[in-house]
Amino acid sequence: MSIPLLDPREAWRPLPPSAWNADLARHLLRRAGWAARPEDVARAVDQGLPATLARLFPTHPPTLARPVFVTRANERIAELQPLKRSAPSYEDRQILEREERDLERLSAAELAFQWLQNATDPARAPYEKWVFFLSNIYVVSLEKVRRAENIHRHFDVLRTHGAGLAPALAKAVSRSPAMIDYLDLNRSSRRAPNENFARELFELFILGEGNYTEDDVKEAARAFTGYRHNPREGFRLAAREQDRGEKTIFGRRGNFDGDQVIDLAFEQAAASTFLPREMARFYLTDAPPPGDYFAPLGEAWRASGHNLRELCLRFFGSLAFYHPAWRASHIKSPVHYYLGLVQDLGLDVIPLERSTLLPLRQMGQQLYYPPNVRGWVGGRLWINSSTLAARRQLAQTLCSPFDEQRLNADEKLDLLAARDAGRRRFTVDGDRIRAFTALGPQGIADRLCDFFLPGRVDEGYRQAIADYLSAARDAAAFEDRVRRATIAVLQSPEYQLS
Amino acid sequence: MNPLLPSTRREFLRLGAKGVGLLAFSRFAPQFLVQSTLAAPRPEKDRRILVLVQLAGGNDGLNTVVPFDDPAYHSLRPNLALREKDVIRLDTNLGLHPSLAAFHQLMQEGRLGIVQNVGYPNPNRSHFRSTEIWETASASDQSLSTGWIGRYLDNACSGPDIAPFTQDQDPDAIHINAEVPQSFGGTLPHNTYGLTLGARAGRAGRDEVALLERLASRPSASLAAHASHEHESANHAFLRATLMDSLVAERNIQRIIDQNRPEATYPGGNFAQSLRNVCGLIAAGLSTRVYFVSLGGFDTHANQLNAHANLLRQLSEGLAAFQKDLTARGLDEQVLTMTFSEFGRRPNENESAGTDHGTAAPLFVMGKRIQGSLHGSAPSLQLERNADVAFSTDFRSVYATVLDRWLETPADEILGARHERLSFLG
Repeated sequence: MSIPLLDPREAWRPLPPSAWNADLARHLLRRAGWAARPEDVARAVDQGLPATLARLFPTHPPTLARPVFVTRANERIAELQPLKRSAPSYEDRQILEREERDLERLSAAELAFQWLQNATDPARAPYEKWVFFLSNIYVVSLEKVRRAENIHRHFDVLRTHGAGLAPALAKAVSRSPAMIDYLDLNRSSRRAPNENFARELFELFILGEGNYTEDDVKEAARAFTGYRHNPREGFRLAAREQDRGEKTIFGRRGNFDGDQVIDLAFEQAAASTFLPREMARFYLTDAPPPGDYFAPLGEAWRASGHNLRELCLRFFGSLAFYHPAWRASHIKSPVHYYLGLVQDLGLDVIPLERSTLLPLRQMGQQLYYPPNVRGWVGGRLWINSSTLAARRQLAQTLCSPFDEQRLNADEKLDLLAARDAGRRRFTVDGDRIRAFTALGPQGIADRLCDFFLPGRVDEGYRQAIADYLSAARDAAAFEDRVRRATIAVLQSPEYQLS
Repeated sequence: MNPLLPSTRREFLRLGAKGVGLLAFSRFAPQFLVQSTLAAPRPEKDRRILVLVQLAGGNDGLNTVVPFDDPAYHSLRPNLALREKDVIRLDTNLGLHPSLAAFHQLMQEGRLGIVQNVGYPNPNRSHFRSTEIWETASASDQSLSTGWIGRYLDNACSGPDIAPFTQDQDPDAIHINAEVPQSFGGTLPHNTYGLTLGARAGRAGRDEVALLERLASRPSASLAAHASHEHESANHAFLRATLMDSLVAERNIQRIIDQNRPEATYPGGNFAQSLRNVCGLIAAGLSTRVYFVSLGGFDTHANQLNAHANLLRQLSEGLAAFQKDLTARGLDEQVLTMTFSEFGRRPNENESAGTDHGTAAPLFVMGKRIQGSLHGSAPSLQLERNADVAFSTDFRSVYATVLDRWLETPADEILGARHERLSFLG
């Protein structure tokens, strides 16, 4: 039953140009991005694989400016601090503190909307997904970091360095205020090194468990002492808190600082296969083969100085990536499911917490709140009856007329602002369903399956949809059934896979 | 009830699409699905229920059950040590954290026991690995793919005299957090259900659910062929089975929770609300044997005192309300509750007024049948600088006791080795 994997020496060779076709392009677009729109598939086939990859993973990826709201919220939060200190009563201070908390929450929501809307742009989707992957390696959580501004900076670090050298990325992350707060670097000093960052650096960022000793962690913790940040300057090295003494790490002795520890970690053999294997887990399969399988890819990556863009080009251009064993079989994350729906249905992100962020949370992925420092593990862990119910609800919402009556005044203003910015397709409207009806039951069934589902579903699946559509008594009922059939396809097990 | 929906997954498996028989369906059905229909659990009247409470992040044992009389404790923790006048005294040496007054009350009523200094040899200080060790009941250097609850369910489902196609549609285990606990993984697939607070069942139209049911119940042959790598086609089958299970289970469970009328006052917060829902589900007579509830935030690397006090208050007041609710509804004979955490914390405080990852810690067992209050021995604090406590009770002894004397299953088989039984259950 099982398809044997390619020999590892073969697996990481480039896909021959003659093999490139629309099926493989769909696989690439769904896995490296979120969905495979017909026009994007045609373009990729036309361009060929290497040129497509070079376009999807740019050398100089575009940045994402800090949302205006976050900047204004920061200014207000700064104003609130002296007011809080001089508040005449406990109740007055409570009011100011609530305002501060609300500003932080809204800032975080604003960041999420901005990221989601950008990530739906097919031209940006693969790189933004890559940034999202990196954020699931270099994990921080807003729960502890608290300041949305620092989350924005952290993602900016990942975006800026994500196409460059991995050691430079790791060094920049060690200076990221969000990371400094999240893994307690801000509390680590010469006299009392805190091990939290050093341990996760080895275990979860660069090497993986079993590739370092407890002593390596203890010694490395000493090298990351004195890392501080403040709102004005950002990162700052507090010289007096820094341990400049001799350390022994991975059997090497020296007066290492944090950057040198990161270089030492990347010198370890395990560093070359750790990230490629995590990529396979994120992009290909929840049960990736052991680290050895990635050795040829890892060697090439090491030879490039651990260049992350090079790694992407090799990974997404390899025979292994397109191997049949790994097609139409990966369970979409909630973010993938959501953004896939938005792209497949040609929608804009609804800038309302209740319509967008709440469903993501109910599906098990609250943006910027990973469950712990390991990030989201994914695969089958995404799926249980309540998360499936939330996925079903989302498909239903996005395919039903948008009920603006239910919105409160603030929400209506947010929608107005989005419309002013040219974003107005929030759900599938009646016109789009009507445009569809001329195809007839069989034609609609084929269209739904071929557009939305990975792999090729069989006749029975198509027939079930065609039968359902054919049972409509009149034109209005038919239209209603087209909508409901679309929803059922998007809720079906097949659409949960990529 | 929607007549188009089969009332159980087993019925779905029997009927298949368009009423075809199981045999026709099983040409496509993965072997394990077919097996599971034959191995349906037997409904039981006087069933015993286990509620697992995870303290995620690593609970600080020394500030939970406090050796207030030990000078070493105070010198290890100049800022974090709790003083004698603040703790709730248990004996001349030990006291409970002041937030645990509700637990103290339960101890006096003989409903709560403490197993001290629980851990395992060669402790791992990674959250994930150590959680995995606890949830799979493995040795430190061993990697198991199944969880201890999953293996218990495997065992409970494999009796020889069980009729196929029972009408029992209740989940075998229910977890009240977004992720399925690793403990639940078995060799056989079990009908487990995740209940997320606030997530409501979808209000899909009746016909639409019927179409979805038809799409989910017929395997997509060529998709399966396309993705015929063993593991991945299993993903597809897994999705279909989970969807069918959830279609059946969701209306049932949502109705129970909507109608739940607790007979105790629960404190606010998600943790207590989760317990409130668990009590409602137990009271409704679900045949579910295991519930899993999680309270997070115990990873107190910095500024620990207030955060930890707050967590322990949520824990003790939530569980006390739960026990009171169970008692008022006459269910307390049936339910055993047990806490666990992936590790304790370092005996010495760090310079951030917090504690780093450590090893052994006490855990709590709660129920009407609990015997004795303090079990095992407290850790010795005669330690070298920055060293950890050595465990005195293996956590698998706690599991063995629960499996053997509460769930009445062959514990040694499930745990793969013989572990000493403890005296908190007779």
